[in-house]
Amino acid sequence: MVAMLILVILVPAGITKYYEVKSPTEGSWQDIEQDAIQSYKETLAGEDLTEEDKAYFQEQMAISEYRLANDAPSQKDSSLASFMSFTSGMLTLVTLFTVITAASIVSSEFSTGTIKMLLTRPMSRAKVLTSKLLTTFLFGLLLYVVNVVVSALIGLVLFGMGTGVELEMVNGQVVEKAVWSDLAYHYLLSGGDFVMSTLFAFLIGSVFRSSSLAIGLTMFLSFTGGMIVMFLSRYDIVKYIWLTHSDLTQYEHGGGSMIADVTLPFSLTVLAIYAVVFLVISYSTFMKRDVTA
Amino acid sequence: MTEPIVQLQNLSKTIRGKQLIQQLNIDLYPGQITGFLGPNGAGKTTTIRMMTGLMHPTEGNVIIDGLSLKEHYEEAISKVGVIVENPEMYKFMSGYKNLLHFARMHKNVTKERIQEVIQQVGLENRIHEKVSTYSLGMRQRLGLAQALLHRPKFLILDEPTNGLDPAGIREFRMYLRKIASEEGVSVFVSSHLLSEIELMCDRVAVIQNGQLIDLRDIHNESSSFYYVEAQPKEQVSAYLEQCDFNFVAENQGYVVEMKKEDVPAMTTQLVQAGIQLFAVQPHQKTLEDQFLEMTGGGQIAEANSK
Repeated sequence: MVAMLILVILVPAGITKYYEVKSPTEGSWQDIEQDAIQSYKETLAGEDLTEEDKAYFQEQMAISEYRLANDAPSQKDSSLASFMSFTSGMLTLVTLFTVITAASIVSSEFSTGTIKMLLTRPMSRAKVLTSKLLTTFLFGLLLYVVNVVVSALIGLVLFGMGTGVELEMVNGQVVEKAVWSDLAYHYLLSGGDFVMSTLFAFLIGSVFRSSSLAIGLTMFLSFTGGMIVMFLSRYDIVKYIWLTHSDLTQYEHGGGSMIADVTLPFSLTVLAIYAVVFLVISYSTFMKRDVTA
Repeated sequence: MTEPIVQLQNLSKTIRGKQLIQQLNIDLYPGQITGFLGPNGAGKTTTIRMMTGLMHPTEGNVIIDGLSLKEHYEEAISKVGVIVENPEMYKFMSGYKNLLHFARMHKNVTKERIQEVIQQVGLENRIHEKVSTYSLGMRQRLGLAQALLHRPKFLILDEPTNGLDPAGIREFRMYLRKIASEEGVSVFVSSHLLSEIELMCDRVAVIQNGQLIDLRDIHNESSSFYYVEAQPKEQVSAYLEQCDFNFVAENQGYVVEMKKEDVPAMTTQLVQAGIQLFAVQPHQKTLEDQFLEMTGGGQIAEANSK
């Protein structure tokens, strides 16, 4: 799984680099910015523009003018930061692999019959299950770290730190984008879905002793979660199911939840309650079970 | 007798209204090998699972070396070595790594001890190969090795000779006898191989429909039997009746319940009466006969529902 993860990061990096080397951009960056301003102006002169579009193009134009005035070139090619924000998408894969592990770490002991060897050791069942859970999360954490370190290394070797500056408009002011803290925040918020999916797969795997059911159900919920939330969004109950909250990246860039009155602390509280519920069910069924495998 | 090392007290198990095990009381003593017999579905495996903590008894308790399995699980189970049915090992690891893995879950199992056990079960040559390449007999040996690692005081074996070759069975029997007599280990063996149990055990416990129906010592029958084959049969039976012996007809002769001292007198009298005497030999009921007599045939025990 680790090798697969590295491969998945390596391949798009190679492809991006290949095309960059093959088709270098022409002209100085100043010329390009001038052209861009020209085209923004033309677009703004057009008539059928919504207020939103207008604001957007005006923003872009302001940024381009700021670049020319302050000698701050844009990121011409891919840089370490842009590559890493691209590979942060691979966290889905990290979650998938961890879910597979969580789903099968208990259920496979049952299906191979080794559970009876394990449970006749002088270890209480609570200890056995705790070590399984810790192993799952340590493995997930390892994948997380591998994802970050490998994409940082590959990004650094292939693209370097980059020469340009990322800019954005905040409250009518052009400021430098806090690329790194944004990225770190993204990694942190992605942890929400990671933890919840892993715990859910662990729950189904240890209760129903079927890894395929656990993987299937977890994946199904992560694909249809959005739909279920949309479907239920008319009712108040939507606030209290974990699917509404597990994707914490909705709070990125100052964004809010698509459900009214739901804030980040509220989401975290709901997720924490569900996490405890999942664990309690996992532990109580595992401790009580008569092992006949 | 010495204190029992394992006590089953009123052990009962009910699953969905079906009473699988009813009020089982058995004491097991150090240095003794007890066989556990019963027709299919009688509750042998359920009992063994309850003795190892894999199943929770509905009622009653298992006491191991004075500790209740319910309340002091870790301490109690650390004195027990177990093989439940086929010993399932991690197939993707070598035999040695499996042993190492299980050894880590016990206190005080050294590398030397692992080597010693491997030697005892005769797996030195193949121990570093993956378990998936092992034959059933080799897996049994590995299973025995993991059960012995922590020098248990009590050994529970479910069908241990299943898949062993004749030499392996013999070796295994000798080995069990040795650890029972030298280290005072109490052994509890369930098996279908009655001849095997007969050779191996000091005692047998017989269970049927979840109830203990017999618990007896092997090898010391209180009354002795002799098989007498002679012609003509009418005269023989008339003579036996006259002497007040209990007897039953079997094959060409009779099985007679009589004391050893009476044998020479009977032979002389039969010969003097002109009866043709072909054979007089001690007759022992095999465990198989006794077992079938007790359990009454081969049908699978009916689960008695309430």
